[in-house]
Amino acid sequence: MILASAMEMIHNALPAAVLALGLATLFAVVLLIASIKLRVETDPKVEEVYNVLPHIDCGACGFAGCASYAKAVVANPELIGRCSPGGAETSVAIGRALNLQISGGGAPSRPIVHCRAHREDKLFHAAYDGIESCTSANAQPDVQACHFGCLGFGDCTRACKFDALHIVDGLSTVDYDKCTGCGACAKACPRNLIQMVPFTQDNMMTVACSSRESGKTTRTFCKVGCIGCGICAKQSDLFTVADNLAKMNYESYAPSEATQTAMDKCPTGVIVSRGQTAPADRQPGQKAAAATA
Amino acid sequence: MDTLHTLLLAFIGIVVVNNLVLTKFLGICPYLGVSGRIDMAFGMGCAVTFVVTLAGTLTWIIDHTFLIGTPLEVMRYLCFILVIAGAVQLVEMYLRKFFPSLYESFGIFLPLITTNCAILGLCLFLNLWEIKRLDEAVVLSAGAGIGFTLAICIMAGIRENMELADVPGPMRGAPITLITAGLLTLAFMGFAGMI
Repeated sequence: MILASAMEMIHNALPAAVLALGLATLFAVVLLIASIKLRVETDPKVEEVYNVLPHIDCGACGFAGCASYAKAVVANPELIGRCSPGGAETSVAIGRALNLQISGGGAPSRPIVHCRAHREDKLFHAAYDGIESCTSANAQPDVQACHFGCLGFGDCTRACKFDALHIVDGLSTVDYDKCTGCGACAKACPRNLIQMVPFTQDNMMTVACSSRESGKTTRTFCKVGCIGCGICAKQSDLFTVADNLAKMNYESYAPSEATQTAMDKCPTGVIVSRGQTAPADRQPGQKAAAATA
Repeated sequence: MDTLHTLLLAFIGIVVVNNLVLTKFLGICPYLGVSGRIDMAFGMGCAVTFVVTLAGTLTWIIDHTFLIGTPLEVMRYLCFILVIAGAVQLVEMYLRKFFPSLYESFGIFLPLITTNCAILGLCLFLNLWEIKRLDEAVVLSAGAGIGFTLAICIMAGIRENMELADVPGPMRGAPITLITAGLLTLAFMGFAGMI
């Protein structure tokens, strides 16, 4: 009884099975022919290089994404080392994929924001009520008294794909644990406050100000701006003062007693440390020694 | 002459009056997903047009040769999906070979044409509307693809211009896109009853 009904079911289902099988076979054959005719030859090296890249498509290398960078680097090995998120490890890995000897490469570059003025440190003439972006705020001459400092509307935060930049109390602040050094923030800042610096050490000393106003003027609108007094330049050759603004020479960067003294003696405390384990910024007027004591 | 007249009416009907996207609300996912830029929208429209023409014609033939009038009609969805999936695979290989940049910019949306409801919808409409002739089925299939291309390109054009508009904060992104889609649909309602 059961057998008979089962047989009947199979008998009824047979045409459907034949139809489905026939169609499937037809398409299998068509697609097989198409796949042979339309085969795309891919260089196995490109795939190998692509696999060692970080796959974040940040564009720091100057190409549209990791896939196009992989293609370019196979064609032209001189382009090795453009991948800043991957750093030296990735360069070595690409070299291995292409059978080239690559040594580690330079120090990873990381952004430094050349401003340290939080909202309470600087002077505002009026409230800005326009579009909340640095680019449009920068078009207003008097959005804040300082024409050089951080605007704090977060164009850099939005440019960052790694959640490594945040506006903390009106100042762009880098989270060096998350930063990969792609440089997107440096391109996004309309005031060019962000400089990509080779981090030869965990923490780098820097002059966190960009104001080229005279010391007297800077003092009127910012408690923590560089006044170009030159005390740091007297302590260490690494500092140079031009246009009322001290600058750190990163090419021969070597911190010493002298640079530490310069940092401690800076009257506005604008020489600060930036990096993963950097100490908190000194408050203006407060001596470093006194702060630790 | 009479044939031409019928075909022309069928074509205009499927492109503007019964536009699958704007009046039947089919194929909304690529319509909203790939309508960010006109060139990509046009590429997507061309791919869908190719697939829907191929799939509509093939399914009509299969439907009329094997399925209609037999108990096998229950197999309709299965067969149609098989045809569509095969056609999409073909398009994917073709694009990868001849238009690699378009292939890369489509990304996941290209295999997703398989699940584009506008295509299966059109194949089933051909059965529902009881299209009796092959040439009419071909014209309707191609017209459905062209209608889709028209809708997605209009949408992409509006969205490109909307990038410059000062949209209120909470409305930015998806909400204003959906409102635009609704207004566009309302505009196309004006064609209703034309044929």
